[in-house]
Amino acid sequence: MKANDLFDERTAELLGFEWLSERLSPRSPYGTRIFAQLVPFRRGGEEAAQGRAQRIAAVAAEVKADRVAAVRIELEGLADVLSAVARASIEETLHDADFLDLRRFCESVERIDELLGGSSLPEIENDATSAVLTALDVGRPGAPEFYLADAFDTGLAAARATLSQAQAELDALRGRETARVAEALGRSEVGDEFIVMRADLRGPLPAGVRVVREAPTYLLAAIEHGEAFLAALGRRQQAFDAVAASEERVRSQLTAIVGRQAAGMNAAAVAIGKLDVTLAAVHFSQRYDCAAANVPREGALRFQCARFLPIDNELTIAGRSFVPIDLDLAGTAVLTGPNMGGKSVSLQTCGFLALLVAFGVPVPAAGASIALFDRIAWLGLGGEAHTGGLLSSFAQELVALKALLSDNAERLLVLADEFARTTTPHEGRALVIALLERLRERNACALVATHLQGIAGAAAVRHFAVRGLREIPRPAEVGDLSAALRELAEAMDYRIVEVEGDDVARADAIALAELLGMDAAFVEAAYRALSQ
Amino acid sequence: MNVGLRILELARAAGARSIFVVGTGKGVGKSTTLGVIYEAACGAGLRTGIASIGHKPRWRLRPQTLFATARALLPASPACQILCAPHVESSAGALLYARTVFDGEYDLIGPSSASALRESIGGLEGLCEIVLVDGAIDRIATLAASDGAIVVACGAAAATTFAEAVAGVAALTARLQIAPATPGAEAIELPGALTATTAAALIATGEEREIVVRDATQIVMSGTSLAQTLGRLRVRCRRPLRVVAATVCALAPERFFEPASFLRAVGEATGLPAFDVFAGAAA
Repeated sequence: MKANDLFDERTAELLGFEWLSERLSPRSPYGTRIFAQLVPFRRGGEEAAQGRAQRIAAVAAEVKADRVAAVRIELEGLADVLSAVARASIEETLHDADFLDLRRFCESVERIDELLGGSSLPEIENDATSAVLTALDVGRPGAPEFYLADAFDTGLAAARATLSQAQAELDALRGRETARVAEALGRSEVGDEFIVMRADLRGPLPAGVRVVREAPTYLLAAIEHGEAFLAALGRRQQAFDAVAASEERVRSQLTAIVGRQAAGMNAAAVAIGKLDVTLAAVHFSQRYDCAAANVPREGALRFQCARFLPIDNELTIAGRSFVPIDLDLAGTAVLTGPNMGGKSVSLQTCGFLALLVAFGVPVPAAGASIALFDRIAWLGLGGEAHTGGLLSSFAQELVALKALLSDNAERLLVLADEFARTTTPHEGRALVIALLERLRERNACALVATHLQGIAGAAAVRHFAVRGLREIPRPAEVGDLSAALRELAEAMDYRIVEVEGDDVARADAIALAELLGMDAAFVEAAYRALSQ
Repeated sequence: MNVGLRILELARAAGARSIFVVGTGKGVGKSTTLGVIYEAACGAGLRTGIASIGHKPRWRLRPQTLFATARALLPASPACQILCAPHVESSAGALLYARTVFDGEYDLIGPSSASALRESIGGLEGLCEIVLVDGAIDRIATLAASDGAIVVACGAAAATTFAEAVAGVAALTARLQIAPATPGAEAIELPGALTATTAAALIATGEEREIVVRDATQIVMSGTSLAQTLGRLRVRCRRPLRVVAATVCALAPERFFEPASFLRAVGEATGLPAFDVFAGAAA
């Protein structure tokens, strides 16, 4: 999956692009190749993007998850046969291991079609896969292994019978010779090389035994085979050569069949790859309960009950749950709310959904209508590039903004988190207003999260707010951060609502500091300062 | 006597489905030992599998033997039954498992990683009555998770003197045969390897508790350090290995030992049934 220029590295990181790529990864080498080339849909491709997501959602609805899992296991075990097909097409004789891979591939194609039978997914099997399977199944139909069986060629069977006979003759001669030597030495058996203790020798070594090495107390000896044995060895070699020639002839014939079916085999491989990529998205959609978004032509972002899955996942592991959010964003808007109220996650949810739509994947939301954007950009908190100490946070934000605004991309989705938070509130406010004005001029779709007051009214944009704390939670036991976070999550209403005017709900920062374990004196001092 | 058959009996009596042959060094008769056990297994009509940790070229296999090799090393003829081609790599490329149909010379090779080798041996055990493994002392970790029997091969090639050869095999055997931890005994459980440094520190403090390692492969010492450690500390393990026999090779290009004395000395030093595979003798 390639982002191309849809977003930069930092935005990708904040929106969970790598997390998403891993979850959408196919299983087979064919799928992996196609997935590596997958690029986002661009404006004008709304129908295609929506169509892909709808097809994935439809398959997710019609094929049960266990079937999808079974097919994916089958895909995972697929060997890559493209090299063998290519070699066959240029008449390089294939090896038996290639035939095993090819047969397994064709069998898997059959099984996959069977598992997905009755669904709207196209069949993979074609004349080529059937022909190759039929050709390779000769001799041992349905057997799990591949063997160049006698049934492939009558000449092969005859050559092998001769070899077996020659081998038996050789074994018998060898057995007789070693038995004779062993008996002469008074032993039950001797190997190719053996030791004879001088003290045990009652006379000369038996005939046909040569000394390999002499030592004061023993001899290292070996059997020297006679003419009859060597003649039998020659006959065996001749028989072996005949078998080798017959086997190679059968391989050539099978290779020619594969070569003739190369186009069809390649088509099946491409179809398997596409299916694999689709099923990865289907699995994702089933696992995360996703729905296909509507993809409008105008630059807007509307969703109901949406989740940012990387955080949703983390919360599930921690035994907590994600509170789905709703948003209806067309043009530019401000998002305010308390600390730890989920403003950043709301921005990430927007970007994550836009990213999924760009790749034609259903979104984790009850419903959504999300446009295709030319660029998705993150500004502010978390968006700083790693430039060491050369630029301050403020400077980095402005460098990023300048780059964004000088970009010719027509349709922008800008997600700004606490932009200009590192300067004075007075000047920061002015900069945010200027940013909103510029983004509006560019017809960007933008959500700007801020704690600064009076922005929405001054910039004449819509104002969304996280509802915030229902009540101030009781401080948890000292040092128990998990308990504090649980308390906070229960007290926080993460939902987003549109509000009138510039009223910024209280930040509840001091209460949160207390909840997170700051000592009483510190908290009291803060409240005192606030009241002054 | 049929040494191969005798070793096979010892291993099967211990309930082993696989036999690992490891050596004290190169040229100590490891392949010859493996060869005689293999011939005995085939002669006894057992479904036999064979694997090698390293590359073992041109090994003569009888019909119906299962073996692991690299795709590139499988001879075109005589054709074998190719059982499966798992996505596992060896040092010579992708691995496959095959069954011979005809007598012939085949290259053996195992997976590159210890875990894949364990898996591969487990896979062969499922298809065979006995699996023979040509081991390598530096890949001994593979033995750790195996219930197989171990045969230790030693010989004149791995030592400069008779005494050194006997001491070497005795030390290796002692290391491999570390006793299991005593249930309920006070013990220091070592999470990693027992090295000479750790052992020296424990000896210096006069440690009397059992020192428990996962298995013998976690003891990273040899020679005097090992002998001292085993003599002065109560070293135990969680998963004991089963060493069933020792074999000797009294010959080396540079030297030879008197075979009967060497065989007797190895038997006494290791406390194992000892065999001379070249002389067809037992201690």
